[in-house]
Amino acid sequence: MRSIWAIAYKEIIQILRDRRTLALLIIMPMMQLMIYGYGINTDVKHLPTYVYDQDRSYLSRRLVNSFTQSDYFTVKVQATSLAEIYAALDKGLAQSALVIPPDFTANLLKKKRAQVQLLIDGTDSTPANVALNSSQAIVNAFMQNEGFIPILVAPIDFRPRLWYNPDLKSTYFMLPGLIGLVLQFIIPMITASAIVREKERGNIEQLLVTPIKPYELILGKIIPYVFIGIFIATSIITTMHLLFVVPIHGSVITLFFFTLVFLIVCLGIGLWASTVADNQQQASQIVMFFAMPSILLSGFIFPIAAMPVWVSVISYFIPMTYFLKIVRGIILKGLGFSDLIGQVWPLFLMAVLVIVFSIRRFSKRMA
Amino acid sequence: MHNKGTGNIDMSDIAISADRLTKRFGHFTAVDEISFEIPYGSIFGFLGANGAGKSTTIRMLCGILAPTSGNGKVGGFDVQTQPEQIKTVIGYVSQRFSLYSDLNVAENLTFYGQIYGLEGAALSNRIKEVLTLTGLDRFRQRLSGDLSGGMKQKLAIANAILHKPKIMFLDEPTAGLDPLARRAIWELLYQLAESGTSLFVTTHYMEEAERCNTIAFISAGKILKIGQPAALRQQLSGQILEVACHPLMKASRIFLTLEGVRGVTAYGTTLNLNVTDEKAVEERVIAIAAKEGVTISSIKPIAASLEDVFSDLDSEVKKDA
Repeated sequence: MRSIWAIAYKEIIQILRDRRTLALLIIMPMMQLMIYGYGINTDVKHLPTYVYDQDRSYLSRRLVNSFTQSDYFTVKVQATSLAEIYAALDKGLAQSALVIPPDFTANLLKKKRAQVQLLIDGTDSTPANVALNSSQAIVNAFMQNEGFIPILVAPIDFRPRLWYNPDLKSTYFMLPGLIGLVLQFIIPMITASAIVREKERGNIEQLLVTPIKPYELILGKIIPYVFIGIFIATSIITTMHLLFVVPIHGSVITLFFFTLVFLIVCLGIGLWASTVADNQQQASQIVMFFAMPSILLSGFIFPIAAMPVWVSVISYFIPMTYFLKIVRGIILKGLGFSDLIGQVWPLFLMAVLVIVFSIRRFSKRMA
Repeated sequence: MHNKGTGNIDMSDIAISADRLTKRFGHFTAVDEISFEIPYGSIFGFLGANGAGKSTTIRMLCGILAPTSGNGKVGGFDVQTQPEQIKTVIGYVSQRFSLYSDLNVAENLTFYGQIYGLEGAALSNRIKEVLTLTGLDRFRQRLSGDLSGGMKQKLAIANAILHKPKIMFLDEPTAGLDPLARRAIWELLYQLAESGTSLFVTTHYMEEAERCNTIAFISAGKILKIGQPAALRQQLSGQILEVACHPLMKASRIFLTLEGVRGVTAYGTTLNLNVTDEKAVEERVIAIAAKEGVTISSIKPIAASLEDVFSDLDSEVKKDA
């Protein structure tokens, strides 16, 4: 017990003296928060749009107006030729372009099929999808408002309503997940390099000839990083709540409890990486190798439901997948322990497996 | 093989013993049936080239590497079955500075003291003692990474004796140090030996080997020679002829071809010839020197040094190989 404390204390002195690591621990979470909070915005609005209105009539202007008022489209330029529109799309000046033919009003009034073309830049599928769907709705509304199609009394009273995130703010979705992302990045990295550093600098050689036991060494080395992890999580949760005003609907205690479980998984990954790597550089490469799928396949950005089946199978083996559902469930939906049981047991299982496996591996390597 | 030692501990007490101790890594035999006994209070010098098996032997005796076969006892504990007990009674100074360079002197000592189960006043008193002994008091607060090479080694020794071990292993404790620092380290080692500690020291320096009570030469995992330095010098097959001559390297090449010359070692302005019959060789040397244009300013038989013993052993090994 005393040895564990001695190692933890020594480790804390070393961390406090290592300015670079210290800076990383404080700056990286905040930087990620700023990037995801301010920079990355998946709410698609105000797509730059060129309009080529050949009809120049009252109705065509009304139609353009409907587009502008939707907030999804912003008219940048009234184009005067198709070539201008094509060029704008090519150069990325416009993400969509509305083309109204000269016979638009005439056809409408004659009750013939009037044609309107919306060209959408499909290179980025997210805004393209938004443009596609919202344009349908805009055109339908326009037809109803102008009296070209009757407002039906529908046999089904269909009332869609958005729960949990009614304004569809992407910060609500992204920032809680950031707790997982930052922990997954930083904790295995610093844990692995803290252990590998002792190997690299030959410290382990001196420790080996002392009566210290492998488990004492591991626990002593890990304990400070548990506190660092909790500190990071706290700073993210606080900033998220105060600066980005993300409401926390569930229990903060439950949230911290699961953060701790996820933290243990991260520590285990770091510990395992330290048994594989011979130097700090290798350790960070190994950690990165595992961090990438955790970001891309866990549902942090891209929904798992949208993945092909074989890819989504991989996501079941990623601890982040479960942790994300837990944090989003607690923060956005106010879920409790019992609601999350399906996510809780795999995360627990992984924590136990990873830590037991890596401690055993570490002890073997040390002996 | 028991030597007379320096301390006043009963010399029949054996601190470290090896009995046909062997370590194999796959087909490679790193240490091949070595045997020796080291009493308390004596300094045992372990000599050999890099890769001869010195470190492997130390690792086995420290209880961090299980021997393939054979027996060993350190402080009364068996290296095969009681490695953890061995760790509590030994001190270890590694070849490379392996304390924490980002901790200061006092922090390093506190940390290791705690690992060895010291605490409170006992720990702080003991730290004071070892700092005084090694002369590091003034550097308590200095980061160990900022210490000079000699001080680093002193700190490593201070660290290794915190728990008052009666047995110490030092793997090239003076490698890379300047002569003064080396002398200071050896004075420290003598003090420890005098207080009854048994020291197992590996070194490359022949004049350091002379300072040991017993020395052993190891090559390719086998102990070639073991004994007191004086005895080993006398055992050297052949005699040493010291020739002051010019030009040195040319003379060295010529003399080596002469009959009865087993080896030639250069020392600044003289050559040491390891010869079988000094009278006959002396005549041959003078004759060929005159013929080849080598000027000899003096030629006389001298006592063999350990280096002569070592290079003789080395040439024998090479002949066998």
